[in-house]
Amino acid sequence: MLGYIVRRILATIPVMGVVALFVFSLLYIAPGDPAAVIAGDQATPADVERIRQSLGLDRPFLVRFGEWFFRILQGDMGTSIFTNLPVWTMIRQRIEPTLSLMIVTLILAIVVAVPMGVVAAWKAGSWIDRLIMAFAVFGFSVPVFVVAYILAYVFALELEWLPVQGYTPLSEGLWPWLENLILPAIALGCVYIALIARITRATMLEVLSQDYIKTARAKGMGQSGILFIHALKNAAVPIVTVIGIGIAFLIGGAIVTESVFVIPGLGRLTIDAILRRDYPVIQGVVLLFSFVYVFVNLAVDVLYTLIDPRIRY
Amino acid sequence: MNAPALAAPAPQDLAVAPDLPDIFPAAKPRGRVWGFVRRHPAIAVGGALVLLMLLMALLAPYLWTVDPTTLATHRRTREPSAAYWFGTDMLGRDIYSRVLFGARVSLIVGFSVALLASLAGLVIGIVSGFIRWADAVIMRIMDGLMSIPPILLAVALMALTRGSVGNVILAITIAEVPRVARLVRGVVLSLREQPYVDAAVAAGTRTPMIMLRHILPNTLAPLTVQATYICASAMIIEAILSFIGAGVPPTVPSWGNIMAEGRALWQVKPYIVFIPAVFLSVTVLAVNLLGDGLRDALDPRMAKEV
Repeated sequence: MLGYIVRRILATIPVMGVVALFVFSLLYIAPGDPAAVIAGDQATPADVERIRQSLGLDRPFLVRFGEWFFRILQGDMGTSIFTNLPVWTMIRQRIEPTLSLMIVTLILAIVVAVPMGVVAAWKAGSWIDRLIMAFAVFGFSVPVFVVAYILAYVFALELEWLPVQGYTPLSEGLWPWLENLILPAIALGCVYIALIARITRATMLEVLSQDYIKTARAKGMGQSGILFIHALKNAAVPIVTVIGIGIAFLIGGAIVTESVFVIPGLGRLTIDAILRRDYPVIQGVVLLFSFVYVFVNLAVDVLYTLIDPRIRY
Repeated sequence: MNAPALAAPAPQDLAVAPDLPDIFPAAKPRGRVWGFVRRHPAIAVGGALVLLMLLMALLAPYLWTVDPTTLATHRRTREPSAAYWFGTDMLGRDIYSRVLFGARVSLIVGFSVALLASLAGLVIGIVSGFIRWADAVIMRIMDGLMSIPPILLAVALMALTRGSVGNVILAITIAEVPRVARLVRGVVLSLREQPYVDAAVAAGTRTPMIMLRHILPNTLAPLTVQATYICASAMIIEAILSFIGAGVPPTVPSWGNIMAEGRALWQVKPYIVFIPAVFLSVTVLAVNLLGDGLRDALDPRMAKEV
């Protein structure tokens, strides 16, 4: 098992290498002179020359990649072209709202979606199953910013239950913090809930047809005991895997959700960076999110080799 | 219960069974269309809606629209009325016309990405599934690309180029290809173990021929299903890109652009945001329904999975 975990961790190295190479070469696969691309349309030749030198464009590609990668490993992501602040400082200033949003969404999605999937599987074929599955199709189809606007319109503008937009740091109290995150988290969670509910239902259906479930029923075990103790525990691995993979939806959706609810997080930073063509910032954000995604999925894989005795490599 | 007993004349005190045709009236020959709708409701509903959107996009100039880019400052932000069915936006442009022409962008992007990503994924997947030494390299690259969330990948690519419909298609295609390649590779790897492939190898069939004759046809069903989902996902990503200002240029009417323009005013004029939102959601829903229907129809085994 230890061997598997070590191999699994080693396998992420080439993946992160490819990500780093891709992120680094973003600048160079664009047609034209990268320095001119960064400088934009209104740049003077002097500006272009300054950027060219700061990027070190006169040296070979692989040498530059190596140096850049080495600096990244030391935690230096470069300097923003627009603000001249270190990229890592800018990311650190914006990370709390995004992290808060993603964690609240994650908790909300798991708490809502897993019971939904369990009930749908338990009552398979009934109206409640159909209703939950119809919701899942809608959750996949209605884009996150549409859900966001509908929620903001109904619950913030019309009913005035919750704030329309903005973010309050956690340091100013739990409720003010949560109050601003409820609507964004529901909007962002929709796709995620649909995804988790569907996989939960599918795996639960498979588990519920197993012999040990019949045995549990035969020995007179209660319905909820069967569902949550025997079945859900055995269905956990695919569900947890999908929760890990679904982080990609959370990251992509967070950019848009933050934009609708005017949350000053990494999404806002990304959008500003794109509009200003602030490449070091774009590279930093993409790298960070990809690292989080790879790391979460690595953690998920390692976790269930530890908790599920059936998995032996 | 046997034939002679039935053939014997019925005793008079026994009720005689009525003629069979009375109990089971001959099934009315249903139209083939209706039969199809009954068997595959998701395909029928989804397909009909997609067709409707296609027609709407194609016939946009003839559906009582005006030039969607005409500015008219004297009639800014009019509420929906008989003259302006969906109202006008901040620059006085007719939203009804913009929404109808906007369907073109969404559909072109959705279909093009589905087609291009499927083709590229198919080639990469088959090569990777068949050629051992290439597999390791290709799959590491695909794994790397897959670990960048698709929206972020498309956003990063769009930051490189000028906004245009072609670039949006290219960026989303690159973001979607790894998933298709993985799917095709998985199918190919399982097909390679099939006896008929062994038989073909034993018979001396060349590898390209095996790929073309024996592998390719069997990947088409799962690929078609995947392509519909990619189409839906591409339309959402296009709208998101345009919405955050990294998609098609603002001069082109697209649903994402209309929503982006309505954003500043959405608390007072919510219809500017909500009307394109409804069109986008219905179209994506239709394509997803089509995908679910195709999945159930083409491969019943896949219906159990997500």
